Amino acid sequence: MKRSTLFPTLLCPMLLYPMLLCSMLVALVLCAAPPLVSAAKVGAAAPDFTGTASTGKTFRLSDYRGKYVVLEWHNNGCPFVRKQYNSGNMQQLQKQWSSQGVVWFTILSSAPGKQGHATAQEENDYLAKMQAAPTAALLDPTGEIGHLYDAKTSPQMVVINPQGVVIYDGAIDDKPTTDLNDIPGATNYVSLALQQAMAGKQVETSATRPYGCSVKYSDATH
Amino acid sequence: MQGRSPSSGFYRALTCGAALLLCAASVHAEATPITHGTLELIARNQWIAARHTLDVGLLFQLEKGWHIYWLNPGDSGEPPRVEWQLPAGLTAGAIEWPAPRRLGTGSIADYGYEDRVLLIVPLHAAASLAAQQPVRIGAQVKLLVCSHEMCIPGKAELSLTLPIKSQPPAPNTPTAELFAATRKSLPRPAPGSWKFSVTDANDSFVLTADVGHQITQAVFFPLAESQIENAAPQKLLTEKADFRLTLRKSDQLLKPIDRLKGVLVLAGDQAFLIDVPIGKAGTARSNSGNGATK
Repeated sequence: MKRSTLFPTLLCPMLLYPMLLCSMLVALVLCAAPPLVSAAKVGAAAPDFTGTASTGKTFRLSDYRGKYVVLEWHNNGCPFVRKQYNSGNMQQLQKQWSSQGVVWFTILSSAPGKQGHATAQEENDYLAKMQAAPTAALLDPTGEIGHLYDAKTSPQMVVINPQGVVIYDGAIDDKPTTDLNDIPGATNYVSLALQQAMAGKQVETSATRPYGCSVKYSDATH
Repeated sequence: MQGRSPSSGFYRALTCGAALLLCAASVHAEATPITHGTLELIARNQWIAARHTLDVGLLFQLEKGWHIYWLNPGDSGEPPRVEWQLPAGLTAGAIEWPAPRRLGTGSIADYGYEDRVLLIVPLHAAASLAAQQPVRIGAQVKLLVCSHEMCIPGKAELSLTLPIKSQPPAPNTPTAELFAATRKSLPRPAPGSWKFSVTDANDSFVLTADVGHQITQAVFFPLAESQIENAAPQKLLTEKADFRLTLRKSDQLLKPIDRLKGVLVLAGDQAFLIDVPIGKAGTARSNSGNGATK
C-alpha cells in the first residue's frame, strides 16, 4: 500500500551490494507501512503511547493507569469539529470531566501541510482562543498515535478506564451532522460511558461509527 | 407577478415576454451554485397528474476532486438531506440512491459520488389532486461536499413550479433521458434464480453467490454503517458460476447481526440489492479475543 519513492526496485538484482541496498529498502518499506494489525478494540487493552504536547511536555498513557482517560481526535478546520468547539460543547465536556479526575488528551494526527495540522505555538493559541481545557493537546504529525488507535475521523473519541481497557470508541454523540443546533438534543456517548463506568455499570454503547472528517494522515488519499 | 394592466402595447408585450420566459423556466430551474459545484432541482415530466408519480431529482454537478456521500457514507462524511415543501396532495418518497463508488485508498474508505449524480425522488400525486395553476415544489437541501483535503457544509434552497393537469404526463424532453438513464442504472433486486448465502466466519462475513455465470469483479456496499470494515479489501474468489466475497467485520460490530443488506456491484456497473440472512459457519471455532459473539 505504501510505495517507496526513494529507490526504484530495479536496484535490487543479483549482486551483493545491491542486495544490501535491497534489504535496506525492504526494511524501510516495512517500517514505513502502517501497522497491519487492527488497533484498539473495545474491551482490549489500550495501546500505550508517548506523545509530545503543544507545551513541549511529554505524556505517556500508561502513567495514567488508575484514572479514566479520554482521547479526542481533533482537526480545527473540520466542520464536525467546529460544531463541537464553536458551540462550546467540547470545552464544557473537557472541564466537566477534568474536574472529576478524568485525563483528557486532544490529539492532532494531521500530517504537515494538511488541514488540522498545527505547530505547538498555533495549537497553544487555538487552545487559548477557544478556552479549551484538555489535560494536554498532543501533536501527532506522523500519525503514529492515530494509526495505533485506527482513528478514522475527527472528532473520534476513545474512553479508557483506570485498568487501561478501552470502554468506548467512536462518535462523540448520536447526531452525525455539522449543525451545532443538533448538540442540545444529542446523546453524548463520552459522558454516558464515563457516567456508567464510574457508577460501576456496564457501558451500554461501547462502540459506534465515529462521524467527522477523515483524519489527514500523511498517506491519506482521502 | 400581476400588477396594474399596462396601458401601452409596449408594456403589454414586455409582460407577455417575461411570462413566456418564466413559463419556459418553470420545468427547468437554473442550477444553483453550491460549494465546489452546482445543484439543480429537475422534473421528469412537464406537469403533474392526479394518481401519477412524478420523478423529480437533485442533480449535482461537482468540481473535479470533490464528492458527496451515499446513504451509508462509510468511514467519514455525511449524506445530503432534503426537506420538501409540497402542496396538499403531493407526497415525497425517499431518495433512490444510485450505486456509490468507493472513495479513498489507505485506512479510510468512504462511499459516495463524484462528477455528476442525479438523486431521484418520486413525488406521489393523490387522486384528489385537481387541475390548477402551477404549484411550487420546494426543496431545502443540507449537504456536505468534501475533497481529500477538507469538507465544506452547505445549504441550498431550490424550487420548481409545475402545472397540475388531468392528462397523463408528457415527458420533459431535456431531462427525461437523464432520468431514464439514472433509473436504469439504479441497484435492482437480484434475479430470483440467483442464490446467496452469508456465513459468519469469526472476523469476517463470507458472501457466497451463484449468479449463473462466472464473474470477474464484485464489490459489496452495506446499507447499514458499522457492519464491515470499509477500508479492508474485499477478497474475491471465483469458481465457475460461484463466487465468494470476504468482508472483514467492523470493529464497531459488537453484537451479532441477522442479515447482510446492501448493494452488490458486478462488472459493468451492474448493481443489485441483496438482503441475505447470516448463518453460522459449519465448524466450531474458538471465540476471538474481543468476545464479540456468544
